[in-house]
Amino acid sequence: MRGSDSPSKSCQPVAATVQHDQPRGDDELLARIAGGNQSALSELIARHGRGLRMFAARYLGNAGDAEDVVQEVFVTVWKQAARFDPAKGRASTWLYRITANRCIDQRRRRALRSFIGLDDIRDEVAAPEADAEATTAARQELAIVRDGLSRLPERQRMAVLLRAVGDLDIAAIAEVMGGSIGSAEQLLVRGRRALRDHLAMAAVSRERESS
Amino acid sequence: MTRDEFERHSLRFGAAVETWPAPFRQQALALLAAERKDDPDAALDRLVLEAALTDGDDQALARKVLARIEAGSARPSLLPRLLFSPAGFAACVAAVLVAATLAGYQVARLQDDPSDTELLALASGSSLADGGIAADAEGEGSL
Repeated sequence: MRGSDSPSKSCQPVAATVQHDQPRGDDELLARIAGGNQSALSELIARHGRGLRMFAARYLGNAGDAEDVVQEVFVTVWKQAARFDPAKGRASTWLYRITANRCIDQRRRRALRSFIGLDDIRDEVAAPEADAEATTAARQELAIVRDGLSRLPERQRMAVLLRAVGDLDIAAIAEVMGGSIGSAEQLLVRGRRALRDHLAMAAVSRERESS
Repeated sequence: MTRDEFERHSLRFGAAVETWPAPFRQQALALLAAERKDDPDAALDRLVLEAALTDGDDQALARKVLARIEAGSARPSLLPRLLFSPAGFAACVAAVLVAATLAGYQVARLQDDPSDTELLALASGSSLADGGIAADAEGEGSL
């Protein structure tokens, strides 16, 4: 079953040696996946698939690409699970790191396809019930947040999404993004500030329209 | 529970509040929830999380992943999609035309390149028939 489990160079194990509390469930699942257990992989997908899909969809701005990326991530997990070292970091950090790398690759591929005329780049994450969305202030606010997220620089958007969707702390965000803790914190601070500014500007313009 | 009490209990019971014994656990969770409410960053994070919510079927995702694993291909190659797309097909046709033109030039250049023997025959006044100078050689022999 796992005859093709050769290590892939595109997936890098977590490099930093930050110690975390170990969520035993994920570690045990990865150990079982390394042993070729498909039901363990299904369980890991049930635990993390939704979060990874949300992160990828908002980062890429395209639900189809996000679905493709998350599938690739779990195929990589299947092949690379034996390389995961629980002593070096949390499983969730490892998963988000693979996903972030795949997302960056996907953006580059899409940019190349767009350049040679195969694709055009559009934000295609379906907002649930777009018509109904304008009916309430809360949904309008969420739409503004989505718009603000799509306008953030890529690394700021990644940091904000890793914090909010992945529930990663600053050290883990730095691990995922391959930078220092200070730079990750700066990205998060700037991203949040830009989002707040965007929300404030949208609120002002709404007030002007209503008056 | 105050923040100081929380810190003391975390040293006593560990960092994971969920593993604390009752009633410390409920009190700690209530404190954390209250702090999150006051924290503007946490409020923004909750808003971003809510905005990021998308529909998706994890069971369908698992089926697709397992199908990919069975197929042994993590990602469909770009090359087949390139060949079947209009732009890719046009690029391939253009490449074939350029290659054919270059090959034609090479063949024509080789055919038009006169050999030293033919140039010598031309200089000596012999005719350059398809048979070359052999016909003239026969004529010389007959003399």
